[in-house]
Amino acid sequence: MAVEGVVAAMDPAGLKAIGAGIAVGLTGIASGIAEKDIGSAAIGAMAENEGLFGKGLILTVIPETIVIFGLVVALLIK
Amino acid sequence: MRLLQKFKNKGKSSQYKGSSNYAYLATRVRAMKSNLVPTETYPRLMNMGISEITRLIQETEYKRDIDELARTYSGVDLIEHGLNQNLAETFTKLIEISEGEPNYLITEYLRNYDVWNIKTLLRGKYYNASTDEIKEAFVSAGQLSYTFLSELAGKQSYSEVISALESTEYYPILKEYDETNLSDIENRLDKMYYDGLFNVIGGSKSKDRKLFATFIKTEIDIKNVKTLFRLKKAEVDPDEILDLIIDGGLELNVKNIKKLLSLSYDDFVQALSKYSYWDTISEIVSSDTDSLINVETQLTKHSLKSASSFSHVYPLSIVPIMDYIISKRNEVNNLRIITRGKAANLSDDVIRNQLVI
Repeated sequence: MAVEGVVAAMDPAGLKAIGAGIAVGLTGIASGIAEKDIGSAAIGAMAENEGLFGKGLILTVIPETIVIFGLVVALLIK
Repeated sequence: MRLLQKFKNKGKSSQYKGSSNYAYLATRVRAMKSNLVPTETYPRLMNMGISEITRLIQETEYKRDIDELARTYSGVDLIEHGLNQNLAETFTKLIEISEGEPNYLITEYLRNYDVWNIKTLLRGKYYNASTDEIKEAFVSAGQLSYTFLSELAGKQSYSEVISALESTEYYPILKEYDETNLSDIENRLDKMYYDGLFNVIGGSKSKDRKLFATFIKTEIDIKNVKTLFRLKKAEVDPDEILDLIIDGGLELNVKNIKKLLSLSYDDFVQALSKYSYWDTISEIVSSDTDSLINVETQLTKHSLKSASSFSHVYPLSIVPIMDYIISKRNEVNNLRIITRGKAANLSDDVIRNQLVI
């Protein structure tokens, strides 16, 4: 009885919002972790050879796709 | 993986401070490696005179060092000192740009330059060399800075030098020096270096560190094999050879080496065929080989090759950095061999045999 009561009290819109939050939040952390190493590696390469700036930048932002997918999912949930 | 390892090791007290940033360091070192003199340049260098070689070297990363030293030196000496200075600067840079674990490992590994410099000091004082002469022979790639070493070189006697080194870990060995036991002290310094290195590599169980350990052990093996070849050829007493052997090799431990020591030169060469190093030297070694140059070049080449193949296994670890250190040292050696050989009018074949490419 008590459980049913709690479930009934939850607003679907609120659950959707939590889902969207988790989708963006977790993917954000994931891209952060992925970009950390790539970014520092890119800086390392650039310190020796400045010409690698363009390549380094592109490689660094590739994991950014993860958070973009997260954002898309969040928008779809909404 | 590294992140997981970090969490796992969090509770343990570690020997080094700060976080290690392998991604930054390994990539930077790889970029530095791409600046080394490419293999195809060596045949070109062989066809040049000293001044042309100087000019070609000036176009590479040695430019600053050559420019700086051009006022004081010329010809072969200029190249030699430029190379040494660059080597010292590059290795000091490696220590400076790294932090945490790799910094600790690199510092320990480069300690052999400190040992080298202390030996130079003692030898210089022993033969009453002038301050400038001693200073010229320094390669300050380790922890002892060039300024500190120059200060020591200016001291009057060896006892002053040793008391100035009181705060270093070499002091317990150095204080027993009494001008009669130079070679003994030198041996003990070398052994101390390897003992320190073993302490460092023994501690970790991660795969890349194990590879690093294998790598150091292979290096020790190759050093021992070289010593054995030289001394066996010269028919030195086995007990004396044993003093010069470094313990802790990968395939050749002291027990195996003792067995090898009791054999004659021919039997020793036969017995070596059991070990993996035989493949690299089998074609050039026979019982009547006069010169050991080829053998030593092949062995060095073997350690170089194994280092570069290791470095691809764990790209974000200490191994590619070690690979760079060895390649850089080898490059400096090669350039020195070429210029010194040219200056001494050696034939191209003789020089080419000495090169490790």
